[in-house]
Order: sequence, then structure tokens, then C-alpha cells
Amino acid sequence: MATPITPACTPDGLAKDPERIVPIYVWELPIRITHWGLVALLVLLTVTGTYMHSPFLTANGSRAWVMGWMRFLHELSGFLLIAIFIPRIYWFFAGNHYASWRSWLPHTARQWTSIKSMVAYYGFRRRKPFEEIGHNSLAIFAYIAVFALVAVEFITGLVLFSAVEGSRVLRALVGWIPRIIDIQWIRSAHFLIMFLLIAFFIHHIYSALLVGISEKNGEMESIFTGWKFVPKRLVDEVSDAEEKGTAPRRKPGRRPVRGKR
Amino acid sequence: MPHQPFLAPSSAGKSMSPIDRSVLELCQCHGISRRRFLEFCTAVTATLALPSGYAQVVATALSQKKKPVLVWLEFQDCAGNTESMLRTSHPTVEDLVLESFSWEYHETIMAAYGKAAESALERVVREEKGKYIVVVEGAIPTADGGVYCTIGGRTALDIAQEVCGSAAAIIAVGACAWDGGLVRSGPNPTGALGLQGAVPGLNVVNLPGCPHNSANTAAVLVHYLTFGQMPALDPLNRPLFAYGDIIHDQCERRAHYDAGRFVEEWDDEGARKGWCLYKMGCKGPEANYNCPTVQWNGSTSWPVKAGHGCIACASPRFWDTKSPFYERLPHPAGFGVDVTVSEIGWTVVGAVAVATAAHGITSIVRDRRSSEPTANQASEKTGSKEQQSREQR
Repeated sequence: MATPITPACTPDGLAKDPERIVPIYVWELPIRITHWGLVALLVLLTVTGTYMHSPFLTANGSRAWVMGWMRFLHELSGFLLIAIFIPRIYWFFAGNHYASWRSWLPHTARQWTSIKSMVAYYGFRRRKPFEEIGHNSLAIFAYIAVFALVAVEFITGLVLFSAVEGSRVLRALVGWIPRIIDIQWIRSAHFLIMFLLIAFFIHHIYSALLVGISEKNGEMESIFTGWKFVPKRLVDEVSDAEEKGTAPRRKPGRRPVRGKR
Repeated sequence: MPHQPFLAPSSAGKSMSPIDRSVLELCQCHGISRRRFLEFCTAVTATLALPSGYAQVVATALSQKKKPVLVWLEFQDCAGNTESMLRTSHPTVEDLVLESFSWEYHETIMAAYGKAAESALERVVREEKGKYIVVVEGAIPTADGGVYCTIGGRTALDIAQEVCGSAAAIIAVGACAWDGGLVRSGPNPTGALGLQGAVPGLNVVNLPGCPHNSANTAAVLVHYLTFGQMPALDPLNRPLFAYGDIIHDQCERRAHYDAGRFVEEWDDEGARKGWCLYKMGCKGPEANYNCPTVQWNGSTSWPVKAGHGCIACASPRFWDTKSPFYERLPHPAGFGVDVTVSEIGWTVVGAVAVATAAHGITSIVRDRRSSEPTANQASEKTGSKEQQSREQR
């Protein structure tokens, strides 16, 4: 694995070297908060939901309220999960380039190259992953799938909740659904999607590790700190690609390159 | 010997016929005290979720001599709803409410047979048009012109259309008359449907359940006798007073559910202590019915009280959607008979985990193998290092 070598060590040479590593602020605070909020809530929902499907704890004592707590936490974190998507969706429009809805739509030639290259990379037909600063364009499909699955969990969860705790608003919103699909199938779908999210969890950690190790760009750390470390050449490439793309021009980042200043 | 309260033939002596008497008079005839009668009126008022002041209105209505004509049609059924009503060891006031109607036609218990029986039905439809009540039990086949259930040479569909079409009120009792029940469950070779499905456009009051609870049926009839109309219905045309709440919320074992105390096996310690039957596949959380409050057999017991999980017999298409009755979730179609949702889910997770591990190992092996020659080449061609590293990306 060859590492790029800087041609000159003088400050002047360093400034001109396209391979020099620059820090980039990729994941803004709202993105990191919603990301870790999602992680915490999905873990809590998985544990409590598994208990609700098949209680694995034996309650002791006259004051036990195990299922009561599990259901309370499940319902509460379900609504929090819905709530946490509101700032994330807002950040599709207000956030930087890497959080924007534009980066979620494959609309530039570079993004399509990225998708093809990443398919080739995962299929061992390519040595290195396609260089990206934010999401790689293939991973976007996985995130769209996860958002869609979580949306189905919202709706099925609300149907199940309305059956036991029917407010009129909730019944008007989702009460018609169990008359078309039986509540047991809705419950099965709600349960099955949990496994698909667990499968995504495995894949997500693995691919982040794989690409992070291969790229040495601080991928794993970036979701904690927000910063990635990439060659200057790549920053220019990404911003050129965006300008050539069909979408309106947009700067690569709000606070793009620390090294420039 | 079961009590047989119904159907004195309408040609019998008028003074002795039950149809000439009010519910109160019938009670006195059967040795039921006025106190017990008033208790019933209070109880049925509570069952109907009416304010307590209506008990007096109900009592007044049941003390008057009304004799609406009632016909009971049986189609694709097991007569279980009829049995549920008849198999009482002693007459209850509910029975006498039913008895106070003029029962002109009921295949299982009527004395007349053949032409005479069918002509009684024809006479009701002709002479009492728009005034009689019809109770339907059983599903209606629609495949092949409805030939799979014929009575007196006529199809069930034909009879239902004619008799229900000119009735004042229609009550579908039991799961089969509601949405086809057992008869409609897969594969449904006769194309069976419930009354509403087979004859669209009728104003039907559904009293699903397998069987119906005669206490609820009596309450609906009391409502009709008292107010001249049917009680408020939910979107599936079930009376809200009986089907407005889920079993789980009314269950006497609910506290054990919330606490987390579950029966794990039949006849384990939890079963003996009356713990929650959730893990034994009880469908109480998805079943709407008033079994826990009204109960069965003269308010003696109901399935969960007796130690068996609810099977959601008053829920839509429950044979198909709520089975297996002893498991939490249905088995998805297309995966074999015994495959559960959990098994499918864990298989997916396992497959992804194995694929991930395989991919990871392959990546490590590939990198180790390729690292040595790459290093050799790199030391030979120092000038093109940058180009080489770009190629690798």
C-alpha cells in the first residue's frame, strides 16, 4: 500500500503539492447529533421491541413493571425517532454540501463514476475505494433504503400504537390501514424490518471500517469529530464535479478548507 | 335437558303463546322475580354503555307487549351460534328477550319442515315486508352460481337477497355471517363471503365471534325494542358497546402482562398462578370484544379466565390472520409451513454477517498478497510512485 510522498518539504513546495493532506469539516453538529441519536434510539427500540415480541426477562417481586417499562420506553423512543428526523430533513436544505439533498441525488458524472467504482471495489475488481469526502454515492442507496425502512417502521408503529392508545387524530391518520392489511401482518412487518436494520448495522460498521482503513482519511473518527483529512487534489476535484453537474452551483462546504487560510 | 324456549308455532293458542307476552311477563311465567328482571335491565344498560338512568327506559320497554317478527337464516354454518344461544341449563332473561320476539322461521329448532317451513318464510317476506328482523348465521357461497348451499332448491345468495332486502333490520351473528369465517378461510373452494360481501348495500349489524355471545345479541335486540333503532357501530359495522375496546385492556390477567409475569408452558407454575398468556400466543392485544366484562355461560367464565389464550375470534378473517393460535405472529406465506418471522429475520442477519466476514477476510488476504510485490515494484521504480498510487485508487 503506497502512501503519497510529498515532493518537497519546504513550506512553499508543501503549499503547492496537490497531494498534501488538508482537514475538512464534513459532518456538522446537527448531522452528528441526529446520527448518534438514531443509533441510541434504534438500539433502545431493538432491545425493548425484542422484549415486547418475546419477553426474555423473568419479573420478580410484587412491584415489578418490566413490560410496562419496556412498552413505555419503546413508545417514547419511537416518537423521539420520528422527532429526530425533523432536524435531519431540515438539514437536507440548510446543511453543508455533504448533508445536502444534492449529495443524495446522483446527478453529476463523478457520482455515477463513484457508484460504478464502488460496485467494482466491493466486488474485488478494484484495489482502492473511490475517493470521496462525504458519502460515497453507492452508500447513498443504502441510506435511502434505511430511511425508507424507518419510515415504514414509523407508519406500522403508529398503526400498532393507535390500536391500543387510539387518539382520534391518530385513528384518522392510520386507522384505515389495518382494514386493508391485517394488524398481524403489520406487526410482522414491523418486527421483520428490525432484522433488516440489524443487517444494515453490520454492513454499515464494516464498510466504514473497510473504507476508513483503506483511505486513511479519518473516516471512523469523522462521525465523532466532524473532520476528515483528505488530499487537496480531492477537494478541488469534488468542487469541480459539482460545478460541472446539472444542479445549481454550491460551495463544497461552509467552512471548506482550513489549510487555505 | 336443554331449555327450549323458542318457537311456539304461530298457529298455537293465542293466549298461551309467548309472543303475546312482554319480557317481564315471560320472566314471571318462568319464575324469574321482578328484582332479577330489573337487575337484567341494569346490566344490559351497562353492557350497551348507556347512562344508568336508561335502565328504567329499558325496563319500561321490556314490560310492554311488542312482538316484532324475527326470522333466523342459516347458511354455511355449524349451527354454533344457534347452539350458543340454546345451550343454557336454565332460562336466563337474555333467552326470554329472544323469546319475546315472534320467531317465525329457524331451521334448526322449528317444528315445521319441508314445504310448510319454507312457506312460513315466504309469508313473512310477503306480509311483514319492511317490519321484520332477520338474523343471519353462516357464510354465503358465491362460486359457481352459489350452488354449494341451497335450501328448498334456492341458493343461499338468492334467499339472503330476498329476505334481507325487505327486512327492517339485519343482524349477522358469528364470524361466518360477518366476513365468511372458517368457510372463507383459505383455500375457500366455495367462494364463501360474509353477508355484507355477498349482498352489498345492506345495513347490517355485525356480531362477530365464534360463536356470537348471546348476551350481546340480546343487548342489541333490547336496544332495538327500547329505541326502535340499532346501536352505534364501528367502521366494520360492529356495535361499539361490544367491539369498541381490545380484550387486552379489559383482561383480568393484564396486571401480570405489565409486570412481566408470563406463562411459559401449559401447566407450569405461572399457568397455575394465572399469569399472562401472551407467550402462549394469546391474541388479546389484537382482538376487539367484550368477553372479559360480559363473559360466557351466564357470566361464568371466558377463555382467558379459564386458562387458554384468546384466538381473536371476533377479528377480521381470524382463521387466516390470527393463526397459529399458539404463537405470537403468523407464519409468512411462501417460506414453508413452519417458518416464523423470527427465523426469517435471523437468517437475513446471519447471511449478512457471514457475507461481511467473508468479504473482510478476502480483503485482508488480498491486501497481504499484493503488498509484497507492490513494495518490490515501488522500490525499483521510485520515479513513478505517485502515478502508481493513483492507479490503485
